[in-house]
Amino acid sequence: MAEFNASTKDLGEVSVIYLQGYLDAHTAPSLENTFSNLIEKGKYCTVVNFTELAYISSAGLGVFMAFIEKMRENNGDIKLSSMSDKVYNIFDLLGFPLLYEIYKTEDEAVNKFIESKNLEK
Amino acid sequence: MKFDIPALKINQKFQTFIVLSIVLFGFKLFAPGSDSITYLLIDDLLVGLTVAAFIFYLMDWIHLKKINPLNLVMNIGIFTAVIFLLITFSNTILRGLATENNLYFPKTGFISNLVVFAYSFIILGSLSYIFLAFRELYSLKQKRDINTYFNTMVVFFILASYSTLLQQSSDLLYIKDTFFIISILLIIINSIKISWIAFIVKKEKKILLFLSIIIAILFVSNLVKNSGNNNANLLDQFSPALNQFFNIIGIYGAIYFSILFFTTLFHIPTAEAFDRKAQEVTSLQYFSKLITEVLDFDDLVKTITDIASKISNADAAWIAWQENGGLKSVGNNSIGFLDADLITSFVAENKNKYNLNETVFISMDKFQKKSQLGESFSNITVSPLRAHNELKGYLLTGKKNNFLFDDEDKNALDTFSDYASIAIENSRLFEESIIKERLEKELDVAREVQRKILPSKNPNYEGLSISTVFIPAFEVGGDYYDFFEIDKYTFGFVIADVSGKGISAAFIMAEVKGIFESLSKTIKTPKNILIKANEILQRTLDRKNFVSAAYGFIDLKNETILISRAGHCPIILLRDNSIENLRPSGIGLGLNFSDHFSNTLEEIKIDLKENDIIVLYTDGITEAKNKLLEDFGSDLFEKILIENCDKDADDISNKVIREVTLFSQNHPQHDDITLVILKWKQKLKIDGEKEWQNSTLQPKI
Repeated sequence: MAEFNASTKDLGEVSVIYLQGYLDAHTAPSLENTFSNLIEKGKYCTVVNFTELAYISSAGLGVFMAFIEKMRENNGDIKLSSMSDKVYNIFDLLGFPLLYEIYKTEDEAVNKFIESKNLEK
Repeated sequence: MKFDIPALKINQKFQTFIVLSIVLFGFKLFAPGSDSITYLLIDDLLVGLTVAAFIFYLMDWIHLKKINPLNLVMNIGIFTAVIFLLITFSNTILRGLATENNLYFPKTGFISNLVVFAYSFIILGSLSYIFLAFRELYSLKQKRDINTYFNTMVVFFILASYSTLLQQSSDLLYIKDTFFIISILLIIINSIKISWIAFIVKKEKKILLFLSIIIAILFVSNLVKNSGNNNANLLDQFSPALNQFFNIIGIYGAIYFSILFFTTLFHIPTAEAFDRKAQEVTSLQYFSKLITEVLDFDDLVKTITDIASKISNADAAWIAWQENGGLKSVGNNSIGFLDADLITSFVAENKNKYNLNETVFISMDKFQKKSQLGESFSNITVSPLRAHNELKGYLLTGKKNNFLFDDEDKNALDTFSDYASIAIENSRLFEESIIKERLEKELDVAREVQRKILPSKNPNYEGLSISTVFIPAFEVGGDYYDFFEIDKYTFGFVIADVSGKGISAAFIMAEVKGIFESLSKTIKTPKNILIKANEILQRTLDRKNFVSAAYGFIDLKNETILISRAGHCPIILLRDNSIENLRPSGIGLGLNFSDHFSNTLEEIKIDLKENDIIVLYTDGITEAKNKLLEDFGSDLFEKILIENCDKDADDISNKVIREVTLFSQNHPQHDDITLVILKWKQKLKIDGEKEWQNSTLQPKI
């Protein structure tokens, strides 16, 4: 079975989730847990780093849909970064770029959060 | 030994005994007392027959019951005590009667005759039972059939008893003595091996030790009392042979129970070890039987903890089962769940301190929360439960009040926990197979739903050739395509892919079909159909689910195609040996329910040319994988399409599917594959729009 791993890095206000391997119907619950834990801790600003992700299925895409609303309601967001062309293409076909902010690099995404926080202040 | 006379039933034997008893009583009452040998012979023969009849009757009766050696010993004790009391009374009370006629008083008077008869008969009955009980004890747990020894002994018992007839003549007295001594020798030989003692538990051995010494003393004192007062020896006067038999049985009892006493005494120190071995053997036998039977998990853990506490002599046992990343106490045996949870969490916190690859002992002295325990557990053992080298949990046992576990317990638990792991794994596999079976049934339903939803045949238009291929994946992927003949000149088509798999995807697919079916009749543009479909789906779709779809209308009259795409794979337009991926912007259905969806949804219109090919597909094609997990990919897909673009629709789709199948032949198909190819064959006349309208306006169905 294809492996999947999601690990979280805490950058203060922003959390970064690193994805690795194959995200499909079988491994999606693991990512759901990761998101649930962040929400429990009150961390609503999340950047997902796709550098190491080899494949994402429709069930994998569903995970982001399940949590985006909750994050946005709490003044946060899920921003996506560092996708390979293949993964980006899957997101792009479904119209995710119209729904999510997708950045080339993790830093860009994190900075975007920090900028918007500064603006609020 | 076959004393059995099968022809006689139990009550017949009893009747024989009663008849003989009455004859004997009559003989005693009416025949004058005499020292003549004939009288004594008849008397002894009658007594012997009565004893034999009673023994045969009792034998059947004893066989009806399950024999427990301790009960037999107890019964022997009771009958010996009865005889003891009778003899004591005979010496005190009956002596008063005896003075009337010093020597032969029993033969005078009905009453005293009856008293003596009753006295003798009670002794006769008791002796018969004791004799039979000895025989049962003798044959208990004997490995070989050594009844010959016992039978020989019985023969000498009879000979010794009847040889008393010869005591009138002192010359022949040696015969009686010889038989008597041989009998005693045989008794000793037959009493030495008492094998059943090893098979009773320690507690019973202690009782037996106590009983055997008392019974041995009773037998000896009976012997002494009986032979001590010859004058008043009623039994001897009743029947000398019976009296001799009494003596022999008395000697047998004294010897047997003395030997039994010492044997038991020597067995006591090893009794506990023996008990435990026996317990282990039965537990393991029971458990290996258990492994082959499939059990409910809850029942299984209860049985495991029950056996574990027995084989380790523990006060309590439970299993700490790995669940949701933590340890949970299950199958608690003689321990409250609060205590079990407290100790389990203590073990979980300290599991790195101990080498938990095998059974370890842990003293509760180091347990800070020891005072919170409801009961004073002082020592515990922890044994790992593994299946396929994966730790599934721990088997724990506990002792109270500072009792310690020893290495024997550790060995027993080590062996046992291996068995337990296998049994648990078996029950888990069984559960899994049930789930799998149910899943397969569900998938059958899903496949059936999908099969009924997809069009059974393609519409037939002159000038438009249509080819469709659908290959369902094992898990049912949720692919859907459909055609709608809107009116004479308008042909609608849709392709969609529901996220997720199995029965839930199949039901969403059914709903999507309903939505498109009805919207196609009322709404005239693909864009509006998709917007409306998104609105309707908001009510039913789970937030995690979505549907990618592409919808198109072909206007047969104006030779145009109108396409909108909601998150689906691009629609391929194959024209003049080149590929154009049509990707009007659009978000998948169910991803967004605001105006954003409709604002971003584009619709494109293309004029069709002769031999234009429209290819609709789902990602089952481009994401088909080979054994190296490489994708079939859109480049290869497009290459095959271009190479075959001059063929008709069916040939193209056959070619594509063949290539995809070849590519992924060593890898299971993961997702549904759907391919729809529309080929426009209508020849257009350069300036002939009007002419075409006039001449070929007729529907081409």
